[in-house]
Amino acid sequence: MGDIKPPSDASGAPAAERREYLSDDPRDIGWVKQNVPCQTACPAGTNVPVYIREIIERQFGRSYETNREANVLPGVLGRICSRPCEAQCRHGWPGNGEPVAICHLKRVASDLKDAGHRITERLYSPTGKRVAIVGAGPAGVAAAHDLSLLGHDVVIFEREERPGGMLRYGIPEFRLPRDTLDIELHNALRLGVQMRTGAEIGNGAGQIPMSKLEQDFDAVLLATGCMAASPLPLQGEWEKRELHGLEGVEYGLDFLVQMHRGVKKTVGRRVAVVGAGFTALDCARVASRLGAQEVTTHIRTAEEYIPVTQEEIFEAKREGVRIKGLRTPVGLTVEGNRLTGIEFVQNRLGGWRAGGRRQAIPIEGSEFHEPCDTIIIAIGQQTVNDFLGTKLELDRWGNVRVGVDGMTSHKGMFAAGDYVNGASTVVQAVGHGRLIAKRIDAWLMGRERRKQVVRIVPVEKPLRERAFDFIPRQHMPTAPLAERMKDGKHEVELGLDDKLAFEEAKRCYLCNLRYEIDVDRCIFCRACIEVAPRNCIKLVRGVEINEDGAYGKLLETKEWNQVGAIWIDNNECIRCGQCYTACPVQCISISRCELTEVEI
Amino acid sequence: MATAKNERHHVVIGSGVAGSQAAETLRDREPDARITILTLSSLLFYNRYDLPKVFRGHRDWREFLAFPADYYRERRIGMRRCSRVAGVDATRRAILLDHKEEIRFDTLLVASGGRGYIPEDLAEFRPLMHPFSSYTEAVTAAGVVPERGHVIMLGGDMIGLDLARTLLDTRHRVTLVAGPQTFWPHEVGEDERPALMAALEAMGIEVVEGADAGGIASIEKGARGLSARRVLFRDGTELYGDAVMPFFGLVPSVEFMLGSGVDIERGLLVNPALRTTHDGIYAAGDVCQIWSDVERRYRFYYGWKNVRAMGDLAARNIAGGADPWVPAQDEKLHISDNGKIQSPFWEYA
Repeated sequence: MGDIKPPSDASGAPAAERREYLSDDPRDIGWVKQNVPCQTACPAGTNVPVYIREIIERQFGRSYETNREANVLPGVLGRICSRPCEAQCRHGWPGNGEPVAICHLKRVASDLKDAGHRITERLYSPTGKRVAIVGAGPAGVAAAHDLSLLGHDVVIFEREERPGGMLRYGIPEFRLPRDTLDIELHNALRLGVQMRTGAEIGNGAGQIPMSKLEQDFDAVLLATGCMAASPLPLQGEWEKRELHGLEGVEYGLDFLVQMHRGVKKTVGRRVAVVGAGFTALDCARVASRLGAQEVTTHIRTAEEYIPVTQEEIFEAKREGVRIKGLRTPVGLTVEGNRLTGIEFVQNRLGGWRAGGRRQAIPIEGSEFHEPCDTIIIAIGQQTVNDFLGTKLELDRWGNVRVGVDGMTSHKGMFAAGDYVNGASTVVQAVGHGRLIAKRIDAWLMGRERRKQVVRIVPVEKPLRERAFDFIPRQHMPTAPLAERMKDGKHEVELGLDDKLAFEEAKRCYLCNLRYEIDVDRCIFCRACIEVAPRNCIKLVRGVEINEDGAYGKLLETKEWNQVGAIWIDNNECIRCGQCYTACPVQCISISRCELTEVEI
Repeated sequence: MATAKNERHHVVIGSGVAGSQAAETLRDREPDARITILTLSSLLFYNRYDLPKVFRGHRDWREFLAFPADYYRERRIGMRRCSRVAGVDATRRAILLDHKEEIRFDTLLVASGGRGYIPEDLAEFRPLMHPFSSYTEAVTAAGVVPERGHVIMLGGDMIGLDLARTLLDTRHRVTLVAGPQTFWPHEVGEDERPALMAALEAMGIEVVEGADAGGIASIEKGARGLSARRVLFRDGTELYGDAVMPFFGLVPSVEFMLGSGVDIERGLLVNPALRTTHDGIYAAGDVCQIWSDVERRYRFYYGWKNVRAMGDLAARNIAGGADPWVPAQDEKLHISDNGKIQSPFWEYA
């Protein structure tokens, strides 16, 4: 690890004469956050360009470890991640084509690493501090891993018989094979984390009271997720009627959890799923596998706005699931105690809700009926707090409130993941679990022990070719329909092989490469501007500095007498290297900028 | 965006029935406006309804054109062929073409129509099928079906059944693998279906109910000396034919509008004046879902007469009108006294 040095200016010296160094300059940290949109969008902060570059170099094990530095479950998230990184990928920006298949490449690192791959962990000395974690879902496991690395003794209390939380009990095996999950959970927890499954926290018989944990441990982390299905808000006579117990009515989360606990589930011939998230689509696909003849997912807005990947939608449709939009259920029809259909109201699209979701506005007098035998309600999940035995401050959504230090209103009691943020995604839970682990460590040790810096590594020459920009996105091979529908466990996505992975990895712009022009050596010949495929090299009179110290807006000019510098706009730059090659005086330098952490 | 002459620039995406009609009406209403049609096709406007003629030996593209090139020149309608729209930015009123060119507009009419839908479970067999939604596809299909050859028609929407009439007339053999999309876009009740299927058989179409055979398991290439295609059903039965042609209805071509700021469900959502949720953008034809005050829902309207009327209405409203949509044709599927199926979607003048 290098020393932290002040950032150099844009030196045009050959890479061999420049040295790798670490920088805590806000301009460098800001540069990475602005210019590596995939990493910034990843709640776990995964160093995407680096692990993709390692795939190009066919160093799959190293790529896996790069992933693991940010997220202890690369093989799991390489299959089921919601992919916020791909939504921000520069390759998907207007005019640039489709985003890089970042998630599929993550899986490549996991699938293609050597069988005897050696895991790297940086262990701290034991601290003698004890931390109890309630819940072995993604947030709890991620926090447990990081806390054990930091030298704390960790015990996880899990209500179910096996660890994994929603990963094991909420996601069908055809999306997430359990052997992959088991291996990665084992690797995350084998550094001395004690796993106590079948251990329920609460005040009932056979349960462990929270007060006992507070007594026995220095800190307690609540990571129980959102394990209660949200009720379906209906109208009229159905507004206050209890739906549990009606034949043909299922709640999506309970449906999946029961199925994964081993309960045999059945559905009717016509299944209606209400909801628009991964759980809803999973329920629909499970219903298809259970033999339903017609499976329809009813959504309030439109397909364009549902928070599920296009590939998931396509595969669900391929399995016979239909999606019908612009409708909200307002009532049910029953015969005796048996469901016969759903009353809907037609919606129109409204504005945007906080959180980036579209609003659906019901249209008065547009009610209609659709027959069905089973309804699976999957409109969201909520937290459960009754196990606490102590009152914690909640926010307006009923989630527990935590401070910037990750602590609840109860001293020594922290909370992470969906239990704090409400139902979110696995990668958000992992990212939040890690963040809160760091906060717990700081609280236990009385100081922060790690800080963020940028490692700046000189690069000799462009790592990409312009031709790479024209490679189309490689598609994920999938199991034939007949094979996958045989049982509920056959994995649908088969993974990219070496060849497909290499082609896909080449598409990555490697946004962590910083191209800079040494103004003192530039002869303003414009050769770089002439060859640039985009409007990425600009004449500027200055650059604004943001409040956080990062570079801000470029102050462009067309007047030669005002030109202060010729500047590579790294936001527009697609790292094609054309400018570097064209420059007659070699005043353009390239460096790789990676966010990393160092001990303080 | 106004030019030096202060003329408005109306852009129409799509050169089909709706787009061409809109351009014509716009020119009549606004003699000074600049009008540009962008089309993915390499041909000028031709009528999809004429395509079955390829099986009667008509393969010359000139026979299919609705208007000669001079028509566009005389009317000062700019026709940009082979132009793939990559995206639309409603806020900036800009269209980005695939080759990175940006075109600014004052008003935009999206009339990109629909393309043949292939159910997702059959998507992997697409290379082995012969769709029939463009001139090029029609000529290709006609090229692979020999004289008196056997066509396996999947789905059987009204476009396909129209083609089936020509195929039977030209002594080809047609086997229909029927399913939920048979008779699309007509909504056929379960009680009406048996009589309609019988009418198809009376026409000479051999009908196989896809669901009875457990659905299609795969489509394969025939071995040497056998028919070119084999359709294998899940119950183990199979069909051999010279071509497999999918007719499962249309899906709106709206991909380039995703993220544009205009509301989309399956098609572009428009009010009865055919205006989208953006003031300067209208839609007409198979690409739009129109709000129906009567039915209290957004719905598609198909058929040549409807589509042409939509193009005309959208243009009138772009030019300052505020007329509401009124369907231009009946949608009822009939069996005539002599037992023949009659559909308004087959009526084309």
